Amino acid sequence: MELWGVQIIGVLLAILLSPFYVGIAQTVKARMQGRRGPSLWLGYYVLKKLWGKETTAPEYSSWIFQVAPTVSLSALTVIALFIPWGGRVPASWPHDALTVFFLLALERFWVGLAGLDAAGTFGGLGASRIATLGSGIEPAMFAVFGLLWYLTGGTVITPIMPQWWAHPLHMLPWGLAVLGYALVAIAELGRLPADNPDTHLELTMMHEATILEYNGRLLAQSQAAVAIKFTSIIALGWVWLGPNLASPWLNLLLRLIELTLSSMFLGVIESLVVKLRYFRLSTYLGIAMGMGMLAVYLVAFQGGK
Amino acid sequence: MNEATQAEEIRDNWIQDNISRKNAGDVLLALTGYRDNQIKTHWLSADGKMKAVTTTCVDAQFASLSPSMPEVAWDEREIHDLFGYQPVGHPDLRPLVRTPRWPDTFFPLQKRSDDFAQWNDVEPDNPAKVVEGEGITIMKVGPTHAGIIESGHFVFSIIGENILHLDAHLFQNHRGVEKALESLPIQEAKPLISRICGADTVSHQYNFLSAMENLAGRRVPESVEWQRIILLESERILSHLNDLAQIPAGVGFTVAHQRGLAMKESWQKGLAAIFGHRFLFDAMYQEKMMASKKEQLQQLLVSLETMWMKWRKLVSRQQGFHDRMHGVGVVKREDAEQLGAVGVALRATGVSVDMRTIMPLYRHNRIHIPQVTGGDVEARFQVRLQEVEHSFALIRNALEHLQGKNQEASWRIPDDLTGEVVSYSESPHGLNVHVVQMKNGVIERYHVRSGAYRNWPVLALAVAGNAVADFPLINKSFELCYSCADR
Repeated sequence: MELWGVQIIGVLLAILLSPFYVGIAQTVKARMQGRRGPSLWLGYYVLKKLWGKETTAPEYSSWIFQVAPTVSLSALTVIALFIPWGGRVPASWPHDALTVFFLLALERFWVGLAGLDAAGTFGGLGASRIATLGSGIEPAMFAVFGLLWYLTGGTVITPIMPQWWAHPLHMLPWGLAVLGYALVAIAELGRLPADNPDTHLELTMMHEATILEYNGRLLAQSQAAVAIKFTSIIALGWVWLGPNLASPWLNLLLRLIELTLSSMFLGVIESLVVKLRYFRLSTYLGIAMGMGMLAVYLVAFQGGK
Repeated sequence: MNEATQAEEIRDNWIQDNISRKNAGDVLLALTGYRDNQIKTHWLSADGKMKAVTTTCVDAQFASLSPSMPEVAWDEREIHDLFGYQPVGHPDLRPLVRTPRWPDTFFPLQKRSDDFAQWNDVEPDNPAKVVEGEGITIMKVGPTHAGIIESGHFVFSIIGENILHLDAHLFQNHRGVEKALESLPIQEAKPLISRICGADTVSHQYNFLSAMENLAGRRVPESVEWQRIILLESERILSHLNDLAQIPAGVGFTVAHQRGLAMKESWQKGLAAIFGHRFLFDAMYQEKMMASKKEQLQQLLVSLETMWMKWRKLVSRQQGFHDRMHGVGVVKREDAEQLGAVGVALRATGVSVDMRTIMPLYRHNRIHIPQVTGGDVEARFQVRLQEVEHSFALIRNALEHLQGKNQEASWRIPDDLTGEVVSYSESPHGLNVHVVQMKNGVIERYHVRSGAYRNWPVLALAVAGNAVADFPLINKSFELCYSCADR
């Protein structure tokens, strides 16, 4: 029963607090730039504002344009459900990593489709870019999760960190998996150096270009989806690669602290790096993929498991 | 001699004379049209002497120089649009300034155009030059942009992520400045001259004053000259700081972008306190400089240099930033010379041309020209970095020489000037030229050809072959001015 409570509250918090965590990253970035930055609650205010606005659509767009934000918001909400917020989930609760990948692909597919459907040049460019990026993210994600598969024999999201304390020698593969996951997560979240979420330059946009034509309630859904993705993807990394305590409630608290730290860290990273050349992204994702594969090789080589 | 051969001779002389000037290494100052069917080019040789070559339109036609000198292609199109003179042999006579809404008989710079009927009720779009073929997308950006940018319509022909061709449609907001200046009493022209362009305003004011002083035969007091150097260099710093701060924004290097803008803002606020205007509008018309202001400027310079050193360290340490700039938006030296590039864009290709070395105003200064050769975004970034630091030194030197008080508050331009004069200066965006024709104290013709005007076609050349996502970066490395086209 305790696990049920933790999981339900965890999902609710992940959804409700997501704009706040995005705000933390934005504030850290602003401070690094010498600006005061907007309020931490700006995300909520924007959602409220957009929800109260009229929603219009391009003349030549179809039903795809209308449903895409709802599909992506739903897909990402389901991802939030799949993450074991307390480190463990009730026995009957699904938490399979492959489903998470599938839902991410589903979201990417619909966002890209919506970008094409709006019939603007930038939307098409953005759709082509996120599809290209996605074809690099997906194998990299699989490679990084290879470690989970190798150690547990399955794709169910399970904390694997406890196993490492017993074998200090295994810290290296673990470290590679952490780095690899961080790189993939940054690309998946559309943050620097893969994509710049704050740019006003349409020609350089990826995810933003696909939602350029949205406004009102549809835009609010797109933005909510981005925020939920932010908390879910970061928390996912901490669940299977990070430390976990015995009590699920403490684990949930730990998640919230980890999310705060990660948001701040991301704000710092984004201030230090510049956006990569588009044609270099394959190298970037290739490195993440290589790290994931190397981690598995190293464990196998050391006779782990 | 019959009429036909005479016309032919006029044509041949016009082209030959201009080409020989170009081959002699002279700098083309301007190609100017006049109401009385005259077209003139003004050339400047390295020793500071000016020469003019003239031709006369026959049946509103003149021989186009563009096939042999591509740098005047826009000037000739502009003359075609504003005067109705046709450059015969021009390879691309699409409208430049003209929109389809102008009646066919409307030529703003001809006197008879005062009584036009009304605008045509049609779409204002001019035809764009695009690449056609399988897999090629036409991408239109602007004229309204997602930022505080002036109006410019960019038509890209792209294939995948690569730019094949860029057709830049500027001249969206033709203001008719040259027309407005005509028949204006000279005192009233001053504020208008200041506002031709917000980025090069001091250079425009200098050109105006220098033209008037030339006509009036005024000997400018030395202290006033030093003060003008201070103003011109202050503007160069302001403009370069802005341009340098914009380049990191193109690659998401927001820390350098915002801190650069903060540095620019503090300099701008300081200038406003000293010279009375954030953009230095009308600053050069005032010739009085108080001793207290001299100290103020010295302090401002010291505080700017402190911020500058930190910022330089920040941008030079970021390797990813230099990687993004390197090899992107390359302008070859031959192309820059052939298209008549000026200023930073030209110097970044390895050509050591800076009008300050010829301007009589700078005769007591040694002008250091950055030796950079890449011709890419990085090269233009480096040229600006070095020029800002050189401007610090020039201001410091001028402040040392600035002694005594000026008696007059400002010089009053005589009301009876007559004649034609060409003035030029090195603005932050390159060679800036004014051609002024006066009659009895009234402006007959005022032609402005500023640095950005010459570099726009160079930008279009520089982006072809680059990635679409690199356009903002390349564009910002030129940071050209739209109002120089929207005159």
